[in-house]
Amino acid sequence: MTAYVLRRLLQMLPVLLLASFAIFAMIYAVPGGPVAVIVGENAGPEEIAAAIRRYGLDRPMAVQYLDWLGRALAGDFGSSLHSRQPVLQLIGERLPATLQLALAAIVVALAIGIPVAIASAVRPNSWIDRLLSGWSALALGVPTFWLGILLILLFAVELHWLPSASRHVPFWQAPLDALRSLALPALTLGVYVSGILARFLRASLIGEARADYVRTARAKGVPERRIVGLHIMRNAMLPFVTIVGLMMANFIGGAVVTEAVFTYPGLGRLLIQAISTRDYPLIQGCILVILIAYMLINLLVDALYAWIDPRIEYR
Amino acid sequence: MRDGLISLGRRLLARRGAALGLAFLALVALAAAFAGLLPLDPLGQSVADALKPPSSESWFGTDELGRDILARVVYGARTSLVTAFGAVLTAALVGVPVGLVAGFYGGWRDSLLMRCIDVLLALPNILFAMALIAVLGRSQSAALIAVGVAGIPGFARIARAQVMTLRSLDFVTAVRGFGGKPGYIMFRTILPNALSPLVVQAIVLASIAILLEAALAFLGVGVPPPTPSWGEMLRTGKSYLYEAPSYAVLPGLVLTLTILSFDTIGRALTAILDRDETDASGATIGGRR
Repeated sequence: MTAYVLRRLLQMLPVLLLASFAIFAMIYAVPGGPVAVIVGENAGPEEIAAAIRRYGLDRPMAVQYLDWLGRALAGDFGSSLHSRQPVLQLIGERLPATLQLALAAIVVALAIGIPVAIASAVRPNSWIDRLLSGWSALALGVPTFWLGILLILLFAVELHWLPSASRHVPFWQAPLDALRSLALPALTLGVYVSGILARFLRASLIGEARADYVRTARAKGVPERRIVGLHIMRNAMLPFVTIVGLMMANFIGGAVVTEAVFTYPGLGRLLIQAISTRDYPLIQGCILVILIAYMLINLLVDALYAWIDPRIEYR
Repeated sequence: MRDGLISLGRRLLARRGAALGLAFLALVALAAAFAGLLPLDPLGQSVADALKPPSSESWFGTDELGRDILARVVYGARTSLVTAFGAVLTAALVGVPVGLVAGFYGGWRDSLLMRCIDVLLALPNILFAMALIAVLGRSQSAALIAVGVAGIPGFARIARAQVMTLRSLDFVTAVRGFGGKPGYIMFRTILPNALSPLVVQAIVLASIAILLEAALAFLGVGVPPPTPSWGEMLRTGKSYLYEAPSYAVLPGLVLTLTILSFDTIGRALTAILDRDETDASGATIGGRR
């Protein structure tokens, strides 16, 4: 197991190196280059000269990259050009909000997706299967920002049940407040993901239902409820773990649109703000952190998958 | 090949969902193409008529500057469809050759190209697009490129998988035996036989491209105003949910129906091609359908 995880970490290195170079080189592609990024486009020659000296911009690009990478590895992503706060601190403030939303959305997605998948897989191609497949298509096709707006119109504007803008309230401090604030964004994201989960689980349930062990169980007279609930479910849930993990990883930065609809203070919104104010150190830091989190969660999911399914060998 | 396309079209129309989707897309495309002939003005402002609900005069109501929302939805269709079409084309023009070369030669070329594709896949689409726009600045061409780049991996992977199954078949070996050069074999022999799954991918990608373009505009980094765009209308409409709920709801409905139409057609095509594959397994190999 340890060897497997170590080898996977090693395999991540080339992708991470390529990506980190692309993220670093980003500011060279901006019109005016890194100097314009730091001092702004309308700076005088003296300011430019000072910035070049201070940030060592006259060194070869490869040297600058290694320098930047070394500091990033030590956790120093520089400071925001606007607030002057360390980039890592800004990111650290937003990360708990993003994780809390991701967890809540996964709970919603599982609560909708699993029953939908079972109901349609029990009788494939029946009217209920077709109806529920329509639901999955709808859940995937409706843009989250439009669904979010519809939910705000219903629950905030019409019924006054829930707030239209969400804040981050840590769940362990005030569970009820946190749930009120999370309800609409988590529902918006959760509905979308429930479409993916339902489609996937339905296919794998139907696949498992054709397996030999199911026929054997039927021949032995095992009740149908027990066959579906125990035998088929257990095997179909295995690949499902991977999908749920991938979705989690996606939420770290990919929930940006939902965060924008509900003005939720997550990592994605920090990145949009950074882009609209052209705060490049913050943009680079956000993307790098999201990328690393994404890859680590993927690795964790694969390791977990191998751990819960004893048939898989770590090779 | 033309006969194949016609029969594919017929079988597509036989499916109710796909036929409805095609009809809706035709309506949107025609309205976008001939918008200039319609009595619609997307830019004319009249502050006295701001935020009016839908009426017989303006079917979708008016926005915060008194502009006709239906007119802006119709002109916004132009923005959406042109960006989506351009993005799919960009993705195909880069992704297909990358996949062909990687799958045809294998070895270090394959490893190198596929590692680059992995980097594109290492971030959620929307983030990648936003990062590109942070570099390129905000414009319609930036949105087009950002959405297009997000579509490259899909084309590359499908083209690669197709080459790898087709390259060892007899008809490819025959062309090789006649002295066909690698470029000729990849683009003239293999590519025409791999078209069907690529066309399906293009349609699937079109729905993703329209969604992504609208999402970027909704976040305020897409096609800049005053060019009408569906995402931008949702973004502004969201500020007037209490005064004019239809402002955000109706453009969003058109956007959603467009995405669902592409998605339905894409899934119907996949189902038809899958059935062909099962029917043909063992009978004919790689023949032009």
